[in-house]
Amino acid sequence: MSEAAREGGAAGPAGIETARDLLARWPVVDGHNDLPWALREQVRYDLDRRDIATDQSAHLHTDLPRLRAGGVGAQFWSVYVRSDYDGDRAVSATLEQVDCVAQLIDRYPGDLRRALTADDMEAARAEGRIASLTGAEGGHSIHCSLATLRALYALGVRYMTLTHNDTIAWADSATDEPRHGGLSAFGEEVVREMNRLGMLVDLSHVSADTMRDALRVSEAPVIFSHSSARAVCDHPRNIPDDVLERLAVNGGTAMATFVPKFVLPEAGEWTRRADENMRAHGLHHLDTTEAGMKVQRAFEAAHPRPVATAATVADHLDHMREVAGVDHIGIGGDYDGTAFTPDGLRDVAGYPNLIAELLDRKWSEADLAKLTWQNAVRTLRDAEDAARSIQKRRGPSNATIDQLDG
Amino acid sequence: MADLAPDLEAADLTGGAGVLGTAEDAHSPYGTLGRPADPPLRRDPLTRAHALLGAHPVFDGHNALPWALRLHHGDDLTPGHYYDLEYGEPAVSTDIPRLQQGRVGAQFWSVQVPTALSGDHAISATLEQIDFVHQLVRAYPEALRLAMTADDVTECRNRGRIACLLGSAGGQIIDSSLGALRALHTLGVRSMLLTPDRNTPWADAAADTPCAGGLTAFGEEVVREMNRLGMLIDLSYASTDTMRHTLAITKAPVFLHRCAARNLTNHRYNVPDDVLAQLPRNGGICMVTFTPQRVAGPVGAATIEDVADHLDHVRNVAGAAHVGLGGGFDTDPADGRPEGLEDVSGYPRLLAELISRNWSFSDLAGLTWGNALRAMRGAEFAAREARHRRGPSTATIDRLDRADRRDRMTRLHWAWT
Repeated sequence: MSEAAREGGAAGPAGIETARDLLARWPVVDGHNDLPWALREQVRYDLDRRDIATDQSAHLHTDLPRLRAGGVGAQFWSVYVRSDYDGDRAVSATLEQVDCVAQLIDRYPGDLRRALTADDMEAARAEGRIASLTGAEGGHSIHCSLATLRALYALGVRYMTLTHNDTIAWADSATDEPRHGGLSAFGEEVVREMNRLGMLVDLSHVSADTMRDALRVSEAPVIFSHSSARAVCDHPRNIPDDVLERLAVNGGTAMATFVPKFVLPEAGEWTRRADENMRAHGLHHLDTTEAGMKVQRAFEAAHPRPVATAATVADHLDHMREVAGVDHIGIGGDYDGTAFTPDGLRDVAGYPNLIAELLDRKWSEADLAKLTWQNAVRTLRDAEDAARSIQKRRGPSNATIDQLDG
Repeated sequence: MADLAPDLEAADLTGGAGVLGTAEDAHSPYGTLGRPADPPLRRDPLTRAHALLGAHPVFDGHNALPWALRLHHGDDLTPGHYYDLEYGEPAVSTDIPRLQQGRVGAQFWSVQVPTALSGDHAISATLEQIDFVHQLVRAYPEALRLAMTADDVTECRNRGRIACLLGSAGGQIIDSSLGALRALHTLGVRSMLLTPDRNTPWADAAADTPCAGGLTAFGEEVVREMNRLGMLIDLSYASTDTMRHTLAITKAPVFLHRCAARNLTNHRYNVPDDVLAQLPRNGGICMVTFTPQRVAGPVGAATIEDVADHLDHVRNVAGAAHVGLGGGFDTDPADGRPEGLEDVSGYPRLLAELISRNWSFSDLAGLTWGNALRAMRGAEFAAREARHRRGPSTATIDRLDRADRRDRMTRLHWAWT
């Protein structure tokens, strides 16, 4: 297949045009983008050296022209910090990440609009700007302190993934040894406090038991900011069908991710060997600096990579629509948080290819509008409503992990 | 309020100095405590102190109540569960009835945490303290109100609330990160200590072995970023070199939230005269503490007169526009308190002492309220000015202080010359 045909997907130019039209009306709310971490790693937040108003395709998956081309209308910017950071280091690194998002919003006021609520998101869409929200990735960012959680909320963080790749003191991760069988008692209190604040509980990265515990405790809709379907690709980072079914009851949204190793079974095995290769070179396997990317590219040249495409992601969305229902699905690309991306979805300009693929599969425009925009906005709005009613009953919780987990 | 005006006139010592000079004033101001109706009212310094404080309440620089409550009620800090500040809380030196008796109009609540925590809990503990002050303000809306700016402080006073400001935070907790500093500012913190009782990686403390000889290059960047944000620079506990270095580069008035004069009491935390003498140029303020060791030396027992001596000295050296009050209540119970200043209800007695020492009305009004407000406003103006010149700084301590880089720059410098 030629490069151009791949980029266009199977839908052809007409499908792409319809997709772009659709996205102009109902732009993409993307659940997870790691641009802040990429800026930290590459230039230590020296935003002059990565001016995202100009083409940054040599360094990043994300810049403003490509976000516009991709029809993105709202972005949850991830304020991820590595899960081997702990204590003070995790908290202050998270604060730096939050500060980075604030600087980006201040720097590009014509394209980005700070958004803290569902109303802000709608206002941004009406103004033709990209609503910029913030999501924290991993409970290590609050260091077992509910006041720190409240501080993150005050600084604008609107979702928190309960864990990253490592199990933490109060919740099990999907990719680490379980220690609590889901959430500990303090972990449940974290979920309740997030409900009270109106911060979305994000269940990507957590173990299936943690997902079930959180769905049991949560009084507000939850999200999966970047996870696909386990029935299509059996990877622990994906969502099992029983959880997808419960999402319909909860009212939340599962945002399908594009990361090849999570969506394409063959890519998983390939990535495992690529990670080993990175570690053999003495690098962290998520390293996206120049040196890291060089090692990755050399490995890729020697071992051809199984290729995921927009169709692979569409397979997941088909399944998720089937199981969770069309009101409970969304998109969370994980751009700049993954070394490899599917063909046709190479960077943030790629969303129209996915929409074209879904149009080809006879998704209706109403369904696509829910997928790209409406479900995510509704979920945040419902979480705000839940918070308002909970605040009538509960004050800020001062529980500590020592009290609850002994 | 109707009878306030004549009292104020009487308190204005420009015309009343002769009256105060009479033998009546040889009486200790405490002498009238039990006899509030004792004539002649106008000559009673305590009554005058109350009249003055009614118009110019106390703007205090340092109160450690948030940490004291955490020590007493760490199990459950929720206001109203195990303590009630509105009703009175005898376990600590501060509660709302006594703040009102003491005529406190604005308070910097310290969100400092012990340096022992700087390992892995300091920043979370500080965020908890910030959150706790927010909870207190929410729990007692009729008495307390949050203030972020000088205008807020004035507005609180107009509404009869005690303005609650967040600060000082300890400089160690930002983990040498300017992003974390900006996060603290966003969360409402308005003052930060450059050093707690130990060195930060970028500034020397008074009680530690000097490393940087004042501020490092990154330390200077911290000061510039604080100037840009409008975060007040608290030089309490900083080494004398750090104080001088900061005064040389800061564009905004500095605060010594909790300090006393080294010339009178040779305590390592106290401020030397040459630094005090620089305050008029800088516009900053030295807020005098009541802690006995700081105002009377290691013997411990201190009196109101000792505190007044320090206030006299700071006024003489720095000027009447650069002196304030930073009681330091609820810091460390082991410190003890001067007699008459056991808790926050004591300020009027201190003011009475100063009235009998012939402090003028305008000097006293500046001491209690005006000077701190002016210095705060000065820092806000400086920030607005700096924002035209500078964006948020992304400098890191590695980039500015790494020894090999400095050496390389030095070599380059010599290669050019």
